[in-house]
Amino acid sequence: MTTATVETPNQTKPAKQKVILCEGNEAAALGVALARPDMVAVYPITPQSSLVEHVAKLIADGRMDADIVDAEGEHSVLSVLQGAALAGARTYTATCGPGLAFMFEPYFRTSGMRLPIVMSIVTRDGITPQSVWGGHQDAMTVREVGWVQVYCETVQEVLDTTIMAFKIAEHHDVMLPVNVCLDGNYLSYGTSRVELPDQAEVDAFMGVKDVNWHVALDPLRPMAVDPLTGGSGGKGPSTFVRYRKGQCRGMQNSLRVIEEVHEEWAQRFGRRFAPLVEEYRLDGADYAIMTLGSMTGAAKDAIDEAREAGKRVGLIKIKTFSPFPVEALLKAMNKIQALGVVDRSVGFRWNCGPMYQEMMGALYRLGRHVPSMSFIGGLAGADITVGHFHRVIEATEKLVTNPAPAEPVWLNERD
Amino acid sequence: MEHTKYLVVGSSHAALEAVTAIRMHDAEGSLTLLTRDPYLPYSPTVLPYVVSGRSAATGIFLRDEKFFVDNRVQLKRGTELKALHAERNSAELADGSEIAYEKLLLATGAAPAIPPIPGIDQVSYHVLRTLDDAKKLHAAIKQSKQAVVLGAGLVGMHAAENLVKAGANVTIVEMAKQLTDGYFDQVAAQMIEKAFTDNGARILTGSRVVKLAPSAIGSALTLENGTTLEADLLLVATGIKPNMDYLDQAGSAVEHDQGILVSDTMQTSVANVWAAGDCAQAKGFFTEAKVMNAILPDATEQGRIAGMAMAGDPGLKHYPGGVPLNTYHFFGRHAISVGSSKLADGAEVLTRFDDASGRYLKAIFKDGRLLGIFGVNEFFDGGVMCQLILRRVDLSAVKERFVANPLAVGRELMSQLWR
Amino acid sequence: MGRSYNTIAFDAAKCDGCGDCMTACATAKTGSEDQTRSRIQIVGSADDGFELALCRQCGDPKCVTVCPAAALTKSTESGVIEWDAAKCVDCLLCTIGCAYASIALDAGTGHVAKCDTCDGAPACVPACPHDALTYITTARIYNEVGDWEDLFAPGLAGCQGCNTELLMRHTLRRVGPDTVLATPPGCVPGMGSVGFNGTTGTKIPVFHPLLTNTAAMLAGIKRQYKRVGREVNALAIAGDGGASDVGFQSLSGAAERNEQILFMVVDNEGYMNTGMQRSSCTPYGAWTSTTPIGKGSDGMPAQGKTQDAKNLPLIMVNHRCEYVATASTAYMEDLYDKLDKAIEASKVGFAYLHVYSPCTTGWRFPTDQNIEVARKAVETNFVMLWEYTPGAGLQFTRPVDDPLPVTEYLKAMGRFRHLSPDQISHIQGKVVENLAFVKQMVHQARA
Ligand SMILES: Cc1cc2nc3c(=O)[nH]c(=O)nc-3n(C[C@H](O)[C@H](O)[C@H](O)COP(=O)(O)OP(=O)(O)OC[C@H]3O[C@@H](n4cnc5c(N)ncnc54)[C@H](O)[C@@H]3O)c2cc1C
Ligand code: SF4
Repeated sequence: MTTATVETPNQTKPAKQKVILCEGNEAAALGVALARPDMVAVYPITPQSSLVEHVAKLIADGRMDADIVDAEGEHSVLSVLQGAALAGARTYTATCGPGLAFMFEPYFRTSGMRLPIVMSIVTRDGITPQSVWGGHQDAMTVREVGWVQVYCETVQEVLDTTIMAFKIAEHHDVMLPVNVCLDGNYLSYGTSRVELPDQAEVDAFMGVKDVNWHVALDPLRPMAVDPLTGGSGGKGPSTFVRYRKGQCRGMQNSLRVIEEVHEEWAQRFGRRFAPLVEEYRLDGADYAIMTLGSMTGAAKDAIDEAREAGKRVGLIKIKTFSPFPVEALLKAMNKIQALGVVDRSVGFRWNCGPMYQEMMGALYRLGRHVPSMSFIGGLAGADITVGHFHRVIEATEKLVTNPAPAEPVWLNERD
Repeated sequence: MEHTKYLVVGSSHAALEAVTAIRMHDAEGSLTLLTRDPYLPYSPTVLPYVVSGRSAATGIFLRDEKFFVDNRVQLKRGTELKALHAERNSAELADGSEIAYEKLLLATGAAPAIPPIPGIDQVSYHVLRTLDDAKKLHAAIKQSKQAVVLGAGLVGMHAAENLVKAGANVTIVEMAKQLTDGYFDQVAAQMIEKAFTDNGARILTGSRVVKLAPSAIGSALTLENGTTLEADLLLVATGIKPNMDYLDQAGSAVEHDQGILVSDTMQTSVANVWAAGDCAQAKGFFTEAKVMNAILPDATEQGRIAGMAMAGDPGLKHYPGGVPLNTYHFFGRHAISVGSSKLADGAEVLTRFDDASGRYLKAIFKDGRLLGIFGVNEFFDGGVMCQLILRRVDLSAVKERFVANPLAVGRELMSQLWR
Repeated sequence: MGRSYNTIAFDAAKCDGCGDCMTACATAKTGSEDQTRSRIQIVGSADDGFELALCRQCGDPKCVTVCPAAALTKSTESGVIEWDAAKCVDCLLCTIGCAYASIALDAGTGHVAKCDTCDGAPACVPACPHDALTYITTARIYNEVGDWEDLFAPGLAGCQGCNTELLMRHTLRRVGPDTVLATPPGCVPGMGSVGFNGTTGTKIPVFHPLLTNTAAMLAGIKRQYKRVGREVNALAIAGDGGASDVGFQSLSGAAERNEQILFMVVDNEGYMNTGMQRSSCTPYGAWTSTTPIGKGSDGMPAQGKTQDAKNLPLIMVNHRCEYVATASTAYMEDLYDKLDKAIEASKVGFAYLHVYSPCTTGWRFPTDQNIEVARKAVETNFVMLWEYTPGAGLQFTRPVDDPLPVTEYLKAMGRFRHLSPDQISHIQGKVVENLAFVKQMVHQARA
């Protein structure tokens, strides 16, 4: 694992911060504690388990004032939170892989009810083949369900993003659930130095909690939540349509809100993360590689080395995957002639990585052909090393002149 | 001018029952009840017991003030209807003021009919219809040594018994050939008569008073046959006449004969005006002709029908016609009469009499249907009998059993027919 | 709002004319055994059947209106028509007013006499050896409930004759407005509890959980209100399918965590709202649209469900919930009692109420027979009414010691019409076995 450089160009007034050493799961738990949720519901699953254990311990130690529900499964975990959110609670949970799959029924519904629940996905590959190791397949599988999904690159970013996620989710222009994705194994268990923000500062950042102003199950303002809509005509379907359209609008609004919240974070805490898309050494680059999550650290090292070797290569990292940040991506794409996209999961239908496929959709809007290819690596816990990225860079470089291969490149196939 | 949706005149059985019926259907419409009587509602029927002292004059009221408040009824006591201006839906009161109504019920009952005996205006006498009458009579009875009761109807007989029990020498003078004529048959009447004479009363049936004059102790009566009687207490109980003078005062168009003529829903001949109880003349059950059936149960029945009709209650059922119903207690015995005592053509009469127990029963049938049943010292359920008559139940198959035990057989029939 | 009162009910079919009630009444009221002096009179004959002449304590009593002495009054408190000896003048007019022979002359005293229900403990009722007389004390329910707000809109869209609307209205009135109601997919939201296209049938906060997560969502709601110090009831009115099948996990989880929820299951023994499919609560032999009747193959005809029903309430007992009970809309008094207890229990932990609820449409019986079918289920011991608390264990609340044969229940509806004698004896056998099983638990509780 590689640590990324934390760029802090605008370090205006660095807040008083404690420095600790911790793993990603603990960093997530600490972020949760700082965000002060009312209710946390948990069910263990590898590699998420230590995260909820940390949360439980923080509560047990009185370092966090929240109700914790040890539910009998992920389905109920999210359901408990839905109920709590409808009663006005700030809520949090974490899961991954099969747990996320089991949760799918309430998961789909959470965004429809516009409940600002924050859930970490400590990403894990999909079974079968049986595996308990990292990979983005779980989060990718649910990318079309109306949750905001952001991917973290470092342990520090996990902590900071977890806090920011609540603010994004609860923004009145958004009101959507947010997944903070941290790579199983690599971020979950990877230990690094972390700056811990001050609670009072975080409180000031978070502002007043107001999570069920739009929908509530509260005898003081009785309403029927989620009556039947739809049908073949009249008011029914149009009600449904307006709901859906509103959800999509919330998704689109979140792009702006994510940027604003990251900006405010940088102002207050002095750490600036690219909110949607990070451009790394794109200036003067002819081509680039595209990454997601923790692999980006190794990728940046490879880019640095390649640059030193005179290659005109840069990097585009996606942080916000859902909604897909088309405009920000196109801004970066404008600068290059060819692109290699590294996915940590597969898209079964297109025989490529899912991010590759998303990128292709965005590319159409560019109005210019950019030769590209899909790389699939890091499945089931496999490491994508600097060496792997050099292969990616080489293959991508060829695209500037040669035709793109029809098949994806499977990075760890022969490791 | 005062305005009310419902105006009910009278505060006795017919009126109170109408109020209940109106409020069942219309909980809100303004309702005014007026009575010329100064008291809370009471029943004339209880007055003999006030006279005897058995009932306390303060314990006989049928409703209290709270009832009227709870039911949003404006009760005006001591307020007399003087003249009815039905053409403009207005009731003129004794003080000259008027109340405009939307619907009016006349439930003014009856008052004692005073026979035009020469000299009657020269003597002082008692009547019994109001609580004040009863209080006066109650006081007088204690002083009386020698009393005369004119009229052997139930009112007169009750008073006579009270006087006897108070220790007076009592003479009952009755024009008809028997006592309690129209209520009980000859056999029963003889039983009643015997009870009275056994207790020391003198009974002069078939006798007419032709003259009245003041005397040293009170008044002197001269009978048709020349007999003279003296009385320190004279009670006139020769009958009743409906209270309906207010109709003639303003020449109202409300048709009336012996009483105010009403339809099967107690409506008078004039729009928005109903009448019920002793002042009304409605159809009889045994005859299509309109009759006076001045008894308490009929007053409640008519009052209820009138109230429902006034309130527009869809549950309204038409008046089936008056059935005579009477109960009478005398010297520890009781007599019950239900139905018609008139012997229609082809009627069959079954009787039974047991000298030892003093039990007498008579039942009249026609075509197997019960027309009337009368008993002395023989208890049966009058309400059940009345239903058998109203429903025209064919009793052919059980007639003998029925006469042998009307209580048991009546209940058996009830359990099969309208339980 | 009219009042309702306790009353003595008579089941003519059970009366054999023995007259014990009359003796008891005469003894209690006159000190003599002279049945003619009894205020309850059994009339009729063995041939024509026996009937009752007994004061019905009419709402609009004729005896009262004809009494000139104000000696009779209808008590607004008890509903009893009271006779005041001090005011009565023995005129007997009341006996003419009453068409039911319910007030009559007592020759022994010379006064009229009528039933006064012995101040709420009628002597006649326990005297009847055949249970033909019962003293119905549901009045409390109706009076109290009548004063509470009906929290459902008028006109819910249930099937004709369905008792679930009754159940919903009663339950909500009882729990009151400080409640959040979960009605998972099924007949209850089908009736419009949550509503359609922007209009709702409920005056309190209500929602559709998923079929699968009712208990979990309610747990979250309840916990949050507890956290902020507000007392809010969390109530589910769920179907048997959602509770016993796909929603069982969350139900079991919430029960195990002792979440402070009142979970009511309306058991109509199948997925009735979606077209009458089999659930694990569907009884053996029953026709449903997924256990249909057909000639089958290899001479093995399809004859309805081939497995016995899951006994969900007993499973809930094994969660050691704060309160578990079974109930039936044929026994509202019992149901109310249990509702009261369940509400109290839900303030400290998980309360589970399982209401057997016949389905006119899915079980195939005439729409006016719902309560009767519910009653027959109990009278045959096909279902049993009991309650459980951790302290007192399991106890019958309406034991049926002399059950009718189960055929009395089965024949009341179409879904069992096809049953073979073997199937019927299987069901009867299960009734006996289930009874023995529950009895054993009762026994254990006593020990
Ligand atoms: C002594 C006695 C014994 C009786 N015994 C029996 C019996 O045993 N059985 C039986 O069935 N019946 C009996 N009756 C008859 C029975 O009482 C009447 O049939 C019954 O009371 C009729 O009721 P009602 O409402 O029509 O009129 P009433 O009772 O006569 O009441 C009339 C009401 O109208 C009021 N009123 C009259 N005129 C006016 C006016 N102009 N303006 C305002 N208010 C007015 C009066 O104050 C009174 O409130 C007896 C009557 C008497 C007098
Ligand atoms: S007998 Fe007594 S209770 Fe009956 S009507 Fe007469 S006074 Fe009233």
